[in-house]
Amino acid sequence: MPKITVTVNGTQRTHDVEGRLLLVHYLRDVLGLTGTHVGCDTSSCGACTIHLDGHAVKSCSMLAAQADGATITTIEGLASGDELHPLQVGFKEEHGLQCGFCTPGMIMCAADLLKRNPNPTEQEIREGLEGNICRCTGYHNIVRAVQHAAVAP
Amino acid sequence: MGNGGLIIMSNKFIGKSVKRVEDKRFITGKGRYTDDINLPGMTHAYILRSPYAHARIKSIDTSAAAAMQGVVTIMTGDEVGHYGVPCGWQVNFKNGDIMKEPPHPLLVKDKVRHVGDAVAMVVAESREIAQDAAEAIVVDYEVLPAITDASKAVEAGAPLVHDDVPNNICFDWEIGNPKAEVDEAMASAAHVTTLEFVNQRVSPNAMEPRSYIGHYDGVYDKYTLYTSTQNPHLIRLLMCAFVLGLPEHKVRVVGPDVGGGFGSKIYHYTEEALVTLAAKKTGRPVKWTETRSEAFLTDAHGRDHVTKAEMGFDGDGKIVGLRIKTFANLGAYLSTFSTAVPTYLHGTLLQGLYTTPKIHLDMTCVFTNTTAVDAYRGAGRPEATYLLERLLDLSALEMGVNPTELRLKNFIPAFDGVTQPGYQTNVALQYDSGNYHGVLHRGLEMLGYEDFRKAQKEAAASGKLLGVGFSTYIEACGIAPSAVVGSLGARAGLYEVGQVRVQPTGKVSVFTGAHSHGQGHETTFAQVVADRLGIPMEDVDIIHGDSDTVAFGMGTYGSRSLAVGGSAIMKSLDKIIEKGAKIAAHKLECSPDDIEFVDGKFTVKGTDKSLGFGDIALTAYVPHVYPANLEPGLDFSSFYDPTNFTYPFGCHIAVVEVDKETGATKVKRFIAVDDVGNVINPMIVDGQIHGGLAQGIGQALLEGVEFDGNGQIINGSYMDYAMPRADDLPMFELDRQVTPCPHNPLGVKGAGEAGCIGSTPAVVNAVIDALWSAGHQVKDIRMPLTSERVWSAMQS
Amino acid sequence: MELTGIHTLNAPAETIWAMLMNPETLAKVTPGISRLELESEGVYKAIAEVKIGPVAGKFEGKAEVANAVAPQSFTLRVVQNSKIGNVNADINMTLKPLSDTQTELSFDGKADMSGLLARTGNRVMSGVASTLTKQFFKNFEDELSAAG
Repeated sequence: MPKITVTVNGTQRTHDVEGRLLLVHYLRDVLGLTGTHVGCDTSSCGACTIHLDGHAVKSCSMLAAQADGATITTIEGLASGDELHPLQVGFKEEHGLQCGFCTPGMIMCAADLLKRNPNPTEQEIREGLEGNICRCTGYHNIVRAVQHAAVAP
Repeated sequence: MGNGGLIIMSNKFIGKSVKRVEDKRFITGKGRYTDDINLPGMTHAYILRSPYAHARIKSIDTSAAAAMQGVVTIMTGDEVGHYGVPCGWQVNFKNGDIMKEPPHPLLVKDKVRHVGDAVAMVVAESREIAQDAAEAIVVDYEVLPAITDASKAVEAGAPLVHDDVPNNICFDWEIGNPKAEVDEAMASAAHVTTLEFVNQRVSPNAMEPRSYIGHYDGVYDKYTLYTSTQNPHLIRLLMCAFVLGLPEHKVRVVGPDVGGGFGSKIYHYTEEALVTLAAKKTGRPVKWTETRSEAFLTDAHGRDHVTKAEMGFDGDGKIVGLRIKTFANLGAYLSTFSTAVPTYLHGTLLQGLYTTPKIHLDMTCVFTNTTAVDAYRGAGRPEATYLLERLLDLSALEMGVNPTELRLKNFIPAFDGVTQPGYQTNVALQYDSGNYHGVLHRGLEMLGYEDFRKAQKEAAASGKLLGVGFSTYIEACGIAPSAVVGSLGARAGLYEVGQVRVQPTGKVSVFTGAHSHGQGHETTFAQVVADRLGIPMEDVDIIHGDSDTVAFGMGTYGSRSLAVGGSAIMKSLDKIIEKGAKIAAHKLECSPDDIEFVDGKFTVKGTDKSLGFGDIALTAYVPHVYPANLEPGLDFSSFYDPTNFTYPFGCHIAVVEVDKETGATKVKRFIAVDDVGNVINPMIVDGQIHGGLAQGIGQALLEGVEFDGNGQIINGSYMDYAMPRADDLPMFELDRQVTPCPHNPLGVKGAGEAGCIGSTPAVVNAVIDALWSAGHQVKDIRMPLTSERVWSAMQS
Repeated sequence: MELTGIHTLNAPAETIWAMLMNPETLAKVTPGISRLELESEGVYKAIAEVKIGPVAGKFEGKAEVANAVAPQSFTLRVVQNSKIGNVNADINMTLKPLSDTQTELSFDGKADMSGLLARTGNRVMSGVASTLTKQFFKNFEDELSAAG
């Protein structure tokens, strides 16, 4: 079994992992970080989106072994202590979530989007979130949540 | 009590867009869904499913699988096939015979009836081992011909899904005026619009796949089931009383955070009973979580009607009759509510908003070799709205009149249900209150009808096709008066339970039988309680989803939570205040009649003598100075059984642009003016409408479960099943009108399904309008309106 | 799923017929087939491994040659089972001599799939089928030139 060392939400972790173990299952089952969700089995829904070395990645689309040496941020590590990330604030203020299942992936994807494009247009937000499915909100308030975060100081 | 209940409440929170209490845990990744729960010693289950839609099982050999390391147990139909899940609603044939109700076994032993039918369950130390072992089970099938189309399944010679159900007919059914009267009205009509269409099968696709954990504690002889459900108590009742015969008081059912339902998580699924049995058998917790592929095969689907509908008009454009023949596909087995959906939740809505004097629906409900069909957001009502609203817009095109004027001419006049009586329809229901002209007028203001028609002409000149579609809908929500539904075949009551426990320090715990899986109960219910008691929202905790803490409940569906569950809480709040007034009167040395409760204070009328809510709470638990013959404590539980359904309504308008070259359709504007009665939290209500619109627009343009000739779902994954993504939708334009519900204390009607019920026909109507504007006089394009189908329609 | 293909091969019909009737060459040219074992007259046990994009799996089943009219036509009946789904296919193969040295080999048939194979949809599967078809004819050409 390959041994991997990863830095997850600021803490270094080392584990022996089965070769076929997906990164999302490593996060959920080995590290207990259940905020990252599994919504499909075809890498289509985005519920498992995390940051890997600073970029949004669908954690079901890679093996844990491939993440060896990487720095990972999950939804649990996005806030700075008690201070919520502007997107977390935006989603709450604009009612950008209902059942909450897609929300972690949506926020992680949007965070990457805003890093690349701090002032996106509505269309750019919609295109940027195309890889993440939400079945509750119709995206209306998700778009507004991202806009809320984009203008945050 | 009327909706006057609101008057005596402070309105500090009610009517305000209070931010959601539940959000904190979800935005920080701390939500706790069933699959997030891990118990010590837990095992994992994998279910072996049929790859065929219809096949006889000749043999099952589990020996190789059982010998694999890490396999704990394997169950097959031989062991548990005598257990089956029930249907909760009995509908009879026209001739009075009871519907055909073939068993739905937990695991099948004789023949499989749809792709995904469960054949064996493997329990192992890990999910991977369980899956590997399941693949080592050898099942010898004799493949049989399969049938998937309801209208063809009734034909002579069609394969029989259940050998003892002739012509695959579960039951036939009718509602409305006598058929002969409707035939006569249609014969007299100056114009008859005929529309044959399919309301296609869709997959609910809640983002959280179903997940269950069974647990058995031998010390206390107690079972616990964690389940992604919309109604934990109902699951407990069904599983204990109708499936496994377990003592209900020894079973706890917990519905933790649930990632969306849209109807698909109402039903009692076989896997819930299977993990419960396996937990007892193995003495260890057993978790099963479906994959998305499994969800497509096993989560109950929605819609799937094949319909011929005719609407007759007199020379003035007044509707004189409506005649309908529909085949409804129920799938291979009856699901919990599947028989009610095409009948009592569909046929009863065919009056719509119109004064149609003669209506007749002839319904045939049919078994096929497909996944079970049951309620999906709207449940029967979207199908009724689709039928009516497509006919209205198409009739306007055929008769060359304005579709909105045609509606205004046929609308039922406004009535408030208080000073004016409710409206008795020809299809059993009595509407509670309505102002249908109001929502259409407001919608037209927002659209700018004349401006749109001008823009449509201008666009045509520059080679673009614009279209507008209307849908003015009504739904029956707040499900449901128990006696009424009981007389119609429901096998359960549909009241709700609300318990309010005031703690000695004046903090309040509220226990509701409604379950929240996105609807925001923890916020909305707290707004109601805080205002009624005049206390801060932080002092109120809403508890739901655990059968051991919540007394009882019927759950969340049919836009019922606030109308029924909220009303139960209101009843308990009234009891709290009434008792509080007795305690206050004793301490303030006056009669309870002289006490008024305003802004959290019990005050002697006309004086400044008062006691705070917290003082009374403490006195109730420390009853030293206390009325004689009054029990200590401040804790009341109430059952609320509504006296009628509630009837939200609204006007949805879609503006679409169709690409002439490719047929690609884009929704440019979507206007929704909804009347859901009083509104407690506008932000949450708007959010519910948004989500419903997305699903309704999704059905019109993108979604649809497709079968091949052998009953295989050929788009059973998120790669192949198209759902709206962020760039498929516009920003929605919403407004609302308020016509309070006259028969529940909050005056609310329900908002969960409205968006999904009204929107689908508006979009399709808009595309048809766009095509007619370019001279393509097509009556129908089969949903979903893919660019290929729209393009083909333009070539005819 | 519809399966069709047509290709001109540089060999007389009899040569091609003989190759198609020889389980060893048939196994070689058919993409994914790793082994064909004769079970009875015209019936072979077939083991196949297919790995194209998202479709990967080991299939086991039978291949049967029926309605053989040498050297013109036959029907290939394939029943294959795998963890990712089962395939039932009936394919009519036709050999049409164009000249003494050229033959048009065509096939036309239908494959019914179940399980994951079916659910991944025709969008993916038809692409897989067309790739397999190309490979089949290419392998045939390679085999012909090796023999020639």
